[in-house]
Amino acid sequence: MAQQTEKPREDTAEQTVCYVYGIVPADVETDPEARGVGDPPSPIEAVRHGELAALVSEIRADRPLGKPEDLAAHARILDATSAEAPVLPLRFGAVLTGSEAVERELLAEHHDEFHAALQELEGKAEYVLKGRYDEQAVLREIVTENEEAAQLREEIRDKPADATRNERIALGELINNAIAAKREADTQHALDALGELATTVNVREPTHEEDAVHVAFLAEVAAQQDLEQAVGELAGEWRDRVELRLLGPLAPYDFVVTQQPQQE
Amino acid sequence: MTTAVQPAGGGGGGGFDRPSSSSLADVIDTILDKGLVIDAYVRVSLVGIELLTIDARIVVASVDTYLRFAEAVNRLDISDNEQKGLPDLMQDMSQGGARSKTKGAIEAAGDKLRDFLGEDEQAQSAGRGRKGD
Repeated sequence: MAQQTEKPREDTAEQTVCYVYGIVPADVETDPEARGVGDPPSPIEAVRHGELAALVSEIRADRPLGKPEDLAAHARILDATSAEAPVLPLRFGAVLTGSEAVERELLAEHHDEFHAALQELEGKAEYVLKGRYDEQAVLREIVTENEEAAQLREEIRDKPADATRNERIALGELINNAIAAKREADTQHALDALGELATTVNVREPTHEEDAVHVAFLAEVAAQQDLEQAVGELAGEWRDRVELRLLGPLAPYDFVVTQQPQQE
Repeated sequence: MTTAVQPAGGGGGGGFDRPSSSSLADVIDTILDKGLVIDAYVRVSLVGIELLTIDARIVVASVDTYLRFAEAVNRLDISDNEQKGLPDLMQDMSQGGARSKTKGAIEAAGDKLRDFLGEDEQAQSAGRGRKGD
């Protein structure tokens, strides 16, 4: 890739740059009311080239991003779009020098691969299923199923924490491992129950030690009700045991892959 | 076509949470380490991002976690196979005994942990190492 970003643009006085949210088909229209990241947030615009458009907004070059409102705006723009049209989401924080650079360096240079990816995503969006164990319920399961846990529990019962520190650590570690094993089994169960509604799945890392399931699905937006119903059945099966949340439609963050830059 | 409104969801009584928008934690899980990376394609730098805590969400099992689990198990009410446990516990609770006992245990665990962290990382990774017997 050639160096080509040095030319000063006419807007250097104001020092604004172009924040890029994602790439969509060229026929997507922006909502004039929608506002992006930055302070004050600017309107969302589309920079078009061929079959593609990039959703962008102007931001000041001298102000760092990363406030909760910025993160929320990035996600909101892309997620709202994903319900209507395929979108290739960019990771938070992508900026080019201006709309011309967006068109030339981003859209023109990668037109065919982006176009192909968008066609593949047509009609699909990401859904994220998150489940958290009810602590009492999962501990009760473990103590009931695991003799060693039950025995360690007896050893620490009504004894001062200081005097049973080693037993407590052993018990806690055992619980932690038992939850991890349950997470694996329950994640598999969720995949079995929901997998056929998804084109692709991505099992995410847990973000909490009592996470039961954390999976992203790429699924047809038209089949959203089927997915909701299947999650509802799973929730019924796991009643009082796992608290489930379903997010989406979201932009397919988990399913776009950045190719390694080619060294030429 | 870009609208700010999602199709009004409501999972329909399935007994699960169906929020109409993602929480900040959900967003952080998603947009910071997933999605296309522009600078792999184009020579631009990312804007300065004021984010210091991305790694904080990675789950690392620690002695702290273990002690918390142990205490939770200690307080667990297994009514099925411990008929005696429940009334005892109830009595304790009504006297406020259980609560103060628990609090003491948590504080003690905290003190211990601070001792632990104060020493060095080896002590922490040793895990079961016991201090000052």
